[in-house]
Amino acid sequence: MADPEAEALDLIKSRPEGILQSKLWKELGVDSRKCSRIVKKLEEDGLIDRIESKKGSTKTYLLKAKTSTMPVDPSCLLAGDELIPCISCDLECIVEECHPLMDWMYQLAIVQHTEK
Amino acid sequence: MDSVDDMLDDPAIHAYLHRLVGEEGIDLLRKFPKEGEHSDEDLAAETGINLNSVRHSLYTLYEKRLAEYHRIKNNETGWLTYLWQIRIDRIYDAIREDLEDILDKLERRARYEEENDFYICKACGILLPFAKAMDSEFKCPECKDPITHFDNDTLLAALKQRIQAIRDSIGHAESS
Repeated sequence: MADPEAEALDLIKSRPEGILQSKLWKELGVDSRKCSRIVKKLEEDGLIDRIESKKGSTKTYLLKAKTSTMPVDPSCLLAGDELIPCISCDLECIVEECHPLMDWMYQLAIVQHTEK
Repeated sequence: MDSVDDMLDDPAIHAYLHRLVGEEGIDLLRKFPKEGEHSDEDLAAETGINLNSVRHSLYTLYEKRLAEYHRIKNNETGWLTYLWQIRIDRIYDAIREDLEDILDKLERRARYEEENDFYICKACGILLPFAKAMDSEFKCPECKDPITHFDNDTLLAALKQRIQAIRDSIGHAESS
């Protein structure tokens, strides 16, 4: 995703109640035409909802981040209570021979076996 | 928006942040004022955490976009002050990025586990793929004991299950 789009999406996400498109471009510091293009792309990518809204006699749109940008499941990082070693890892990554990863995989196998 | 404390109640998020910033970083997150922007020095004074540790935590969080700053310049002295705020609302995005990377690694590891036969020294725990086991004439390179076939089916099954869980979580279709 291009940076202006990521920045716009980030701003929209930070407002759970949504943000008016007429405010978005001012906050982003871009002109309204550019903002329209960004919003169109985000809508096409299915990342936001664009809801028609009247501000006085002017028509604008309320933009909300879609819930389909569902948060990931952080528990995917854990085997039992062991965090996967890849986070903040400084070792040279040779994934086939990684001992910390092997230990984590053992833990994963034990946990999944116990859960059965 | 979930508060930092709510986030830290999730054991996975706690473990993730703990790996990034350690105990003092977690302490900083918990004590970070709920409102406004704050300089590193004010944060150190308010939280009682060592200034270097505060800075280290903030920069580490910044690299993951979990903290942001804006700079203000004192026109008289020319000094710059960095005012920080925490963006814990981005935690899922940070974890998503890591999971994308981890998915690739786990897929590579699963392929390696699938494509190789392994031999193990029961005394040393050393594990060798078939080619290396043959090179060492099926003896442990360390203690010279005979090595035996290692069944990695359980490991591989656990790994594949987790790979699928990660794919489901980040919305990836299976890669061919």
